Amino acid sequence: MYSNYFYILITVGIFFSLFIPLITISEFLFFEPFVVFSIYSETVLSFSLIVILSSLSAFAVSMNIYRAKLIKETRKIGSSIIGTMIGASAGACSCGPIAFSIITTFGTAGSIASSFLTIYEIPIRLISIAILIAVIYVTTKSLSCECNLKSQSG
Amino acid sequence: MVDTKKIAVAGATVALVAILVTFATSYMSDFDTSRTSTPEDGIKTLELKQAPVLGSDTATITIIEVGDYQCHMCKLWFEETRPLIVENYIKTGKVNLVFMDMPFLGSDSIPASEATYCADDQGKYWEYHSMLFRYQEEIDDGWANANRLQAIAFSLDLDIEQFDKCMTTDDHYARVNYNKQVAVTEFGASSTPTFMIVNTSSGDSQRIVGAHPYSTFEEVINSLL
Repeated sequence: MYSNYFYILITVGIFFSLFIPLITISEFLFFEPFVVFSIYSETVLSFSLIVILSSLSAFAVSMNIYRAKLIKETRKIGSSIIGTMIGASAGACSCGPIAFSIITTFGTAGSIASSFLTIYEIPIRLISIAILIAVIYVTTKSLSCECNLKSQSG
Repeated sequence: MVDTKKIAVAGATVALVAILVTFATSYMSDFDTSRTSTPEDGIKTLELKQAPVLGSDTATITIIEVGDYQCHMCKLWFEETRPLIVENYIKTGKVNLVFMDMPFLGSDSIPASEATYCADDQGKYWEYHSMLFRYQEEIDDGWANANRLQAIAFSLDLDIEQFDKCMTTDDHYARVNYNKQVAVTEFGASSTPTFMIVNTSSGDSQRIVGAHPYSTFEEVINSLL
């Protein structure tokens, strides 16, 4: 699959399209007043999980795009998107503008949701990573089987 | 027959777009470069001078920190960046620091802010301010409930009777709410921590959003000095 440069580009594109917004929301990367990248010692774990999550999401989605083109079946794309969204939402609120928007819009309910996502940021990201690993595993097995069938018939 | 798979994918796509739009609009509202001062900035700075000030009253630069005592990024900034600013700029008399409350994260945020002004009544605002960040835990998990706020006051040798009276009669509730309004409407803060660094002589200012590292503050302060 990755002998085709197109899928490498998709993987890299998905990685950065998720990684950059996540590290910006989580206040590792700032653009104003100038571009600054900074990791506090207490947030190394959070940053590492973002890197892992972005990488796995990139692989999961690109593999499923390939699979969808191969056998015209899109079921597992939904699973990889769900895993990505769960991981992306964790820690996205915190003290940032998203939390402020949610809390001012939804009041107490927003405050509870925001604090839940903040408090359980690490477990939520770990669950998301587990979902993505499962998706990648299942997709890899599926692709191996389908490629074998195609090569036998071809 | 309804295709549930397509509905699920469409729903997930809509949710993702909604999240991205919320993020984009929230983030872009904070997208601001340095701005020239207006006469109102001078007035706002004067009002803030009546707030507890850390450092010399005659310092050229004032850092106004907008924060919530339950904000964990504020705590990170307090622990990692603030000590360097205190050492290199506040102790040398170049900069002073003012804290503006923007309590929005949870129901314990407002009482925590009120407690700092009750401590200020007894001359221990910054000590209480520091203790709150030191003891910060998760939002609204009880670390800043009435008992804990009182315990912090006790550890600072405050007059507990006076402190309790201040808290139960909400002496500073209006002040905290006023600070929150000013933070949102005048400084445009929609997240914490947000900083406004002001040269009180020239009126030039620079807004910084987020728990930036020391290098950002060093560069901005030096450019304003």
